[in-house]
Amino acid sequence: MKSQQLLPLLLISWWMVVAAAPTPAAELDAVAARGELVWAADQEGGGPHVFPDPDAPQRLTGFEVELAELIAAELGVKARFQQGQWDRLPLLLGHPADCVINGIELLPERRRDYHCSRPYFAYGLQLLARRDGPLDTVETLTAPGPAGRWRVGVLTGSAAEAFLRSHPEFEVDVIGYDGTIDSLEQVKSGVLDAALMDDCIFNFYADRFAGLRAVGRPFAGGYYTVLTARDTPRLSAAIDEALGRIIADGRLKTLYDRWDLGGRQQILALRDAAEIPVATRRSLRELAVETLPLLLSAAGMTVLLACLSFPLAILAGLGVALGRLYGPAWLRPLLTACVEVVRGTPLMLQLYAIFFLLPQVGLALPALVAAVAGLALNYAAYESEIYRAGLKAVPLGQFEAALALGMTKWQALRHVVVPQAVRLVMPPVTNDFIALFKDTSVCSVITVIELTKRYSVLALSTGRIVELAVITAILYLAMSWPLSLLSRRFETRQEQRA
Amino acid sequence: MIGIAGLSKARGGALVLDDVCVQAGERAVTAIVGPSGGGKSTLLRCLNGLEVFDAGEVTIAGHRMLPGPHPPRLLEQVRRDVGMVFQQFNLFPHLSVLENVALGPRVVARMPLAEAHGMAEAQLARVGMAAFVAARPATLSGGQQQRVAIARALALAPRVMLFDEPTSALDPAMSAEVMETIVELARGGQTMVVVTHDHAFARRAATQVVELIAGRITRTGPPAEILGA
Repeated sequence: MKSQQLLPLLLISWWMVVAAAPTPAAELDAVAARGELVWAADQEGGGPHVFPDPDAPQRLTGFEVELAELIAAELGVKARFQQGQWDRLPLLLGHPADCVINGIELLPERRRDYHCSRPYFAYGLQLLARRDGPLDTVETLTAPGPAGRWRVGVLTGSAAEAFLRSHPEFEVDVIGYDGTIDSLEQVKSGVLDAALMDDCIFNFYADRFAGLRAVGRPFAGGYYTVLTARDTPRLSAAIDEALGRIIADGRLKTLYDRWDLGGRQQILALRDAAEIPVATRRSLRELAVETLPLLLSAAGMTVLLACLSFPLAILAGLGVALGRLYGPAWLRPLLTACVEVVRGTPLMLQLYAIFFLLPQVGLALPALVAAVAGLALNYAAYESEIYRAGLKAVPLGQFEAALALGMTKWQALRHVVVPQAVRLVMPPVTNDFIALFKDTSVCSVITVIELTKRYSVLALSTGRIVELAVITAILYLAMSWPLSLLSRRFETRQEQRA
Repeated sequence: MIGIAGLSKARGGALVLDDVCVQAGERAVTAIVGPSGGGKSTLLRCLNGLEVFDAGEVTIAGHRMLPGPHPPRLLEQVRRDVGMVFQQFNLFPHLSVLENVALGPRVVARMPLAEAHGMAEAQLARVGMAAFVAARPATLSGGQQQRVAIARALALAPRVMLFDEPTSALDPAMSAEVMETIVELARGGQTMVVVTHDHAFARRAATQVVELIAGRITRTGPPAEILGA
């Protein structure tokens, strides 16, 4: 690579380091001066922790909402909620959140990277399956099921995921979801064989998923902790002390009893909580050796998604454009409506519909197929508009000259008009390919682990947010750079021709 | 070979062709002359179905076209037997000269590639463009492009050739070279209809001249009678 090309790359890497460097977190006195303790959580499928009140959805409820209010009151301030995606909540520490209170399991890695408060809740992992399914004990998972390895859904970044990934004796494919409800829905619709999650979550949603049952007893238990940034020791200490008082005077037991979470058992479990060890910090070299293969294989998935979906998008887009310009009269408004619907709704929603709603009408697609279909569908709408402009830019005389030779309408399009339109739209289409490359990251919402998702999972599990961000950015650049060059070449060639 | 009877066409409420009647036999060369906007090109485009008409009928190369949209099948048959050359050449810029000429035989007549290329080379030789088979249209002069366009129209061996102001976009030198090509074709017995402003050309090549003013035929007859000596 020429030094000319290397410079922007280095500049971007430097910028990422600067931009990703944590802002200093607000210490106890800053929180007091503000009069608010900002606590972060994810309300999506968040029962019984934090979820919209079914009777008044604009209001949040849940046992952690009340706990946050109790802690804030102990600090002499008000509690203010901050929404975030569950597996990325720790990234909000420092700015804009002071702490995370959201069923964050106390794990050695978390103790290494953040300040973890004393435990405030004890959980166990519960395996769930369909009532009519073949799973009846957790041990069943150690042998392959009727269709090979068992497919088990977990919340990405949760203790359930860590447990399954660190127990190779289970014959399972672990599939990570961004919400707990998503995996329950997928078990219900038969896409998954089972889901593994904190027992309190299933107890809460059990009525809604009457077709599912708990398999065996909860196991591999642990504790929830309040996360704070490492550079706010006094805020962390104050939260610890506040929790101590809330436990000691019985307010926490009353709270858990009100939420049907077994107050007495909880308090006994918290009293006996053993010290969790702190994980050791890896050297940069160890980090690279450990994460690079994972990041590279995730980059491979990104390439696969883009290279499978874009040709489909181009073909479908061209078909739609031809249909709108030259198709029968009844087809044109229909295609226009399709394009407007697809362009007017977010890609994420479309992926959701394909992956989570289609199984409910009996069409369960594997995640990769759903992701490729969603990306192709979404980009087909945009490509069709580009092709429409390209087709209209070919002079009418070309079409007439082809017809005058005795060609049918479709022969004239295929041999004369479309080849010219394709040349015209090369530069914008290449640009869209680059855009699609980056949009593949949205596919993580339907459990596809591509580069961005792998980064965020690794960044959180290792705590090396900045270093991994730089590696990830370089991988993305390495993939999109050749495409940019290609696009520029098309443009130059076209300018020369003009 | 060509019979135009009572042909009328309106556009935006105004008549652009008004009860036009023309007859032309085999090997006849009909020149359509008259001021701009008089309906000459529209009349020509009605002969191969690029335009539809409202009344009358057209018989050409044994095919009969009636008012209103023509059936696609009929259009394909008419256009195989009637070649057309445009004022702006309309060569296909993404194809080489050879491919431009071979495309019709390949796609429309379903000729094998080698045979189509052979046919195309023969037609290009006929118009003096054999040396340019590999060139792209954009690298040719206007006159050369128009000669390639003529070869392209000839490649399907049409029974009638239509020329729509074939030299209007060319300077005098290039115009003369294209003219020669068309005169050669006429001498070879090709039936053709030529829309033109060039009276000298009409005098040399035409067997009959039709004068069209404001959509109506004002005069029809031998060139010497209509255009003077």
